[in-house]
Amino acid sequence: MPVAPLKLSPLDARHRSLGAKLTEFGGWDMPLQYSSVLDEHHACRSSAVMFDVSHLGTLRVHGAGAFAALQSTLSNDLERIAIGRAQYTHLLDADDGHVVDDIIVWWLDDEEFFVMPNASNTDRVAEALGISSPPSDAGATKVRSQDITAGRALIAVQGPAARSFVKLVHPALADVGRFRVASVIWNGHNLLVAGTGYTGEDGIEIHVPQEAAEALWDALSDVGIAPAGLGARDTLRLEAGLPLHGHDLGPGITPLHAGLQWVVGWNKTAFRGRDALLALKERGADRQLIGLTIEGRQPPRAESEIVVDGNVVGVVSSGNFSPILGHGIALAFVDRDVAERGGAIEYSISVRSKLLPARRVAFPFVAASPPR
Amino acid sequence: MDFPNELRYSPDHEWIRVDGSIATIGITDFAQDALGDVVYVAPAEVGDAVAVGASVAEVESTKSVSEIYAPVSGTICERNELLDTQPELLNQQPYGDGWILKIEVANVADLDPLMSAESYQTLVM
Repeated sequence: MPVAPLKLSPLDARHRSLGAKLTEFGGWDMPLQYSSVLDEHHACRSSAVMFDVSHLGTLRVHGAGAFAALQSTLSNDLERIAIGRAQYTHLLDADDGHVVDDIIVWWLDDEEFFVMPNASNTDRVAEALGISSPPSDAGATKVRSQDITAGRALIAVQGPAARSFVKLVHPALADVGRFRVASVIWNGHNLLVAGTGYTGEDGIEIHVPQEAAEALWDALSDVGIAPAGLGARDTLRLEAGLPLHGHDLGPGITPLHAGLQWVVGWNKTAFRGRDALLALKERGADRQLIGLTIEGRQPPRAESEIVVDGNVVGVVSSGNFSPILGHGIALAFVDRDVAERGGAIEYSISVRSKLLPARRVAFPFVAASPPR
Repeated sequence: MDFPNELRYSPDHEWIRVDGSIATIGITDFAQDALGDVVYVAPAEVGDAVAVGASVAEVESTKSVSEIYAPVSGTICERNELLDTQPELLNQQPYGDGWILKIEVANVADLDPLMSAESYQTLVM
């Protein structure tokens, strides 16, 4: 069977000339790191960095039926936001309510939305919305969708100094508030900018037409923003306690398992997976996502077992070394009776036949830095 | 990348500095670059007897875990305690303060198959 060639970001040539180490991610050839994951991580927490996140999908969903299509399919409630805002939401499985994908929706105009799934899920999400390509406005739904991923780059600028830096490129970039979305004209190019990110820090994400992507990247670089790769993005999101689809979200994991009840619009009469989720809410999820820290530096790894009183009670879904805390941290799913038990519990994480003593903590493991 | 001439090299990307009967072991510049940021190193205990090919240390980076194998047989006589708190020395000074452990060599013939800098460079570059 022929292997599909990896997709390349519009910024691919920039990454190569910077000497980035590239890695396959969701079918894309993306930067893992430029210099060092640890240096890039610290730069994001103390100053600001930029990530090329063009591998995320962008579906443009528009037409008179766009609102209804999203509202009746995705888990979160669009009535909680308004035009010019962004929302984190899930696409759930119709039968068991597991998280098929986690998605950011940008509400751009009355009848226009950008729906941004994870790289490998774009087609699945379009299909679930019932608006798969080729565009159709069959019947009364009057909704169209286009996969516009290939025509744009997406650059995330993140860190406590992100706004101070982007202000030097264009003041309007710095004015886009948390979870707001705005259109900004830069050098004759129409950018769409959202106050979102995946690092736990303040920052913005910029949707830039392909033809202007390199110029914008260069402009951001010229004002002093260093690039960071997906390696640092992963350690940053883990410290922030943000779930990663494929690890902390996916088959067998509903929003209730992951502690993401707030992503569910319980008052809505319909969304995909609603019945399954309501039934699960009634009987309670059998496992719950918790945060664990260990004293030493050894990174807990996904699939390591969690042991309490000699019994295996769960499994690590994401784990690594926390560069800020200087020790190992993990997100783990544990049995409900353990998660709900009061008092001090002695946890251990089994790593290659060694038991590392662990302590349960609330996440985020690391709080956002104050803006500067 | 740097591959000092005075060192010997294993196909598992370790370097070996021989000083009398003591072999100091570390990982090569190529290996540290491939691993990425090292965040944790767990060498075997001093006094452990090891055969060629035995695992003598675990090295973990932000992205993966790797085993370090004994390139010679003998007894571990020293471990680099600096690495307990500064594992990044493996990246910063792979041939200097980033050494991992020292082995009292039991059989000098173990050194024979090890590569010169030139051969190792041909292997990896």
